[in-house]
Amino acid sequence: MRGLLFAFLGGALITLQGVANSRISQSIGTWQAATLTQWTGFVTALLILLFIRDRKLREFKQVKPLYLTGGALAAIIIFGNVTAIQQMGATFTISALLIAQLSLTFLIDSKGWFGVAKQKMQAPQFIGILLMVAGVIILRF
Amino acid sequence: MLIGIFWALLAGALVGLQNIFNSKVNERANSWATTALVLGLGFLASLVIGLIVEGKKLFAVQHMELWFWFSGIIGVGVVVCMVNGIKLLGPTYAISIAMTSQLVFALLWDSLGWFGLEQVPFTFKQFIGVIVIVSGIFVFKFGGLLQGRKPAVQGE
Repeated sequence: MRGLLFAFLGGALITLQGVANSRISQSIGTWQAATLTQWTGFVTALLILLFIRDRKLREFKQVKPLYLTGGALAAIIIFGNVTAIQQMGATFTISALLIAQLSLTFLIDSKGWFGVAKQKMQAPQFIGILLMVAGVIILRF
Repeated sequence: MLIGIFWALLAGALVGLQNIFNSKVNERANSWATTALVLGLGFLASLVIGLIVEGKKLFAVQHMELWFWFSGIIGVGVVVCMVNGIKLLGPTYAISIAMTSQLVFALLWDSLGWFGLEQVPFTFKQFIGVIVIVSGIFVFKFGGLLQGRKPAVQGE
């Protein structure tokens, strides 16, 4: 039950982040909003890191440098998310975003890129994505 | 609208990629160190691109409201919830629930017209659309599990 609440709240916060960013962008500009929110988030995470004991910063060295750079993608993610929400609303944006997210995850899994365990393409994943596209079409037209 | 679709699809693909990269970091480092690194790099990248696109205007911010300063903390909340949700439910179940909740709240805020969103009246068609999308998410995430498909590890 607690797990369900966490996951449900997590999803709510992801959407909240998108609509809040798009609202802030209206007032101060999209790049300003991205820079500001990433900065305050970074400072908060850093403060929490300073308060907990289990700090293993050295272990970053064991990670392939490419994987350490994932955070930088957020700049484009925030810009894209805000632009899309302003153009076509939150529901349609999140729907399209989730379809692209799952499709790419599926592609990477099936090719075994970036050292993920290679998995066979299977019908349920195709059907799942087709259902999502069908849902978007119902939503919009 | 095509521009909106393009940016939503690009953002979604990058979220998928970022989740994989971040989970690779998370395997070695603790989740707060990972979060700080991810947000720190997000800040640097936004700052650099912002400076290139806007120049000095990036810092000439007017119409600032108090809550803008705190909205970055939402991202920290996302990490706390997803890390705990995945710990308690496993990635497949937790991420399916989170994606469903993302859509439900998007629909809610669109229909309420909050956060400066253009108000879109809630219709039966939208309800059916979201139900079909959610069923797609669950078929994607749980389909093939019986045949032993290992769920993709995600988490922002």
